[in-house]
Amino acid sequence: MEQYFVLKKKSFNDFVSTMAKKQKVVAPIEKGNNQYAFEEVKSGDEIATGYIPTILPPKKYFMPQNETIAKFDISSGQNMEPVVEYEKMTIFGVRTCDLAGIQCLNMVFSDRPRDLNYLIRKNEITIVGFECNDYCDEYASCRLVHNHTPNGGYDLFFTDLGDKFIVHVNTLAGEEIIGQSNVFEKASDQDIKMLNILRTKKREIFAKNEVPIEHENIPGLFDKSYNSKVWEELEKKCVACGNCTNVCPSCYCFDVVDEPNLDLKTGRRSRKWDSCQHETFAKVAGGESFREERGARQRHRYFRKFKYPMDKFSRFFCTGCGRCSRTCMAGINLKETLTVLVEEHGMKNPNAGEVRIG
Amino acid sequence: MAKPKVGFFDFACCEGCQLQVANLGEMLLDVLGAIDVVEFREVMSEKGPEKLDVAIIEGSITDKHAIERIKKIRERAGVLIAYGACACIGGVNGMKNNFKLEDIRKEVYGDRFKYFDSVETKAVHQVVKVDYFINGCPVYIPEFVAVLKCALQGIPYEVPDRAVCVECKLNENVCMYQKGVTCMGPITKAGCNSWCINNNNICYGCRGMVSNPNEKGAKDIIEKYKVPMDLIVNKMNMYNKCREIDKREQKKR
Repeated sequence: MEQYFVLKKKSFNDFVSTMAKKQKVVAPIEKGNNQYAFEEVKSGDEIATGYIPTILPPKKYFMPQNETIAKFDISSGQNMEPVVEYEKMTIFGVRTCDLAGIQCLNMVFSDRPRDLNYLIRKNEITIVGFECNDYCDEYASCRLVHNHTPNGGYDLFFTDLGDKFIVHVNTLAGEEIIGQSNVFEKASDQDIKMLNILRTKKREIFAKNEVPIEHENIPGLFDKSYNSKVWEELEKKCVACGNCTNVCPSCYCFDVVDEPNLDLKTGRRSRKWDSCQHETFAKVAGGESFREERGARQRHRYFRKFKYPMDKFSRFFCTGCGRCSRTCMAGINLKETLTVLVEEHGMKNPNAGEVRIG
Repeated sequence: MAKPKVGFFDFACCEGCQLQVANLGEMLLDVLGAIDVVEFREVMSEKGPEKLDVAIIEGSITDKHAIERIKKIRERAGVLIAYGACACIGGVNGMKNNFKLEDIRKEVYGDRFKYFDSVETKAVHQVVKVDYFINGCPVYIPEFVAVLKCALQGIPYEVPDRAVCVECKLNENVCMYQKGVTCMGPITKAGCNSWCINNNNICYGCRGMVSNPNEKGAKDIIEKYKVPMDLIVNKMNMYNKCREIDKREQKKR
């Protein structure tokens, strides 16, 4: 299998429309005000260039917001049939932070008991990654969590080399896409050299962490941070809208609801996105709430990114995409929160990173 | 089992929410398959029997006659549903409570004002017990159907007590505040699937405010976006003036 191919930019439209004829293609499109969203496209010129992370990450295709998981009929006995909703599609333009997000979801839903709905759907999705040559904006912290360069999780991976893209082939599904159209050429040694130059330049751009702490010291930081004052600060700021978790590429909490039809006999069981930031999520039967304060719910979110998944899966569930900070009306900023924790515990190391808060 | 007998009633309102039922389209057939509409002034002349299984109330309570009428309907009905912003939170009629009643009567009825009484505008639950709320101006049809199904099953319906922003974000709308426009989404109860913002309009707060807002946090946000406080208060009062009556009642307790 050839590993690298090139695609001239003037052939990009042909490539996308060929792909779109075979199966549904979704890609980032511009929504105005420097906001982007993954939506279905038919040709290359609909796709945004230079896009920052989309409003919602591509997780919306892996775990739909409102998914039917079963149908029931109680007109004679209690009949229930499982349902899996899936669709063949290609997601084009997935940034490295979002590739990491999908890898997180894969781990969670492959864990036992395995989530067949997720796994069946995932098998139908082809992923085309897209490299960031520079920072998207000041909210990103991808260097801190080592997601500024690709770590797998894609079928094809595009890197912009000026007048052409160099494309890394990672899977058979990726190879098939290359074979479908005649617009790809084998990459020359010169192309590979250009890719290496770009990656070297990226090492300079992403030279230091976005927060002044070493990657490997973050778990230790969170071991000490449960009773930090910073959570009280977040208590004052947070309005518990839940946007931070909805836009997070690795948040996967959901609610399951039975919805009868008007005959009250047949109906569907659905799974919907939920958020640990909502009061109704924290409340349990009997009206007790284990995380009554907004600050406690925010702390839980941070621990679910930097501590608990580290203990369980040995990886951070923060992908560094910056969406939570970008979307927060109250101005709760992940880099800022981490920096306060780092300073509070005397773990600041300017050699590891710089405090750069947007 | 006989289909439940349902009556629609209107008080001070534009009757637009009742029209929404007529706008159900094909789903209307399913609804009529599940209920027996026995009284509905907007679409039929017949009057229902003394005992109703469900009474659906549109409009707010604005004079003494309305108070008597709603109490009688409450006595007739097993289940009472407040339907639309006027019934659920007082709605735009609540703006009357910004003025002295006598001034209002003179303005509307001129020198004959003495023949027409008027009372402080109230939402239905501020006069009689309400079992279900279907918020919105107008009501959001999928929510109407969802509440109706809960009522038919005899289970509670929880109005989502979270901001419209939640649904708005899931619909991937560009935030109005980013466009430099003031929107009531951050303090308004969800459940409408951010209907207005999906159609490039702002949220007017017609569903009522979330019950446990972080007032300090909300104030900081308003300051951050440089929105004058009185503008926000005015926008809030357009639909939510009657919330002051709830606050007054809470204090009494």
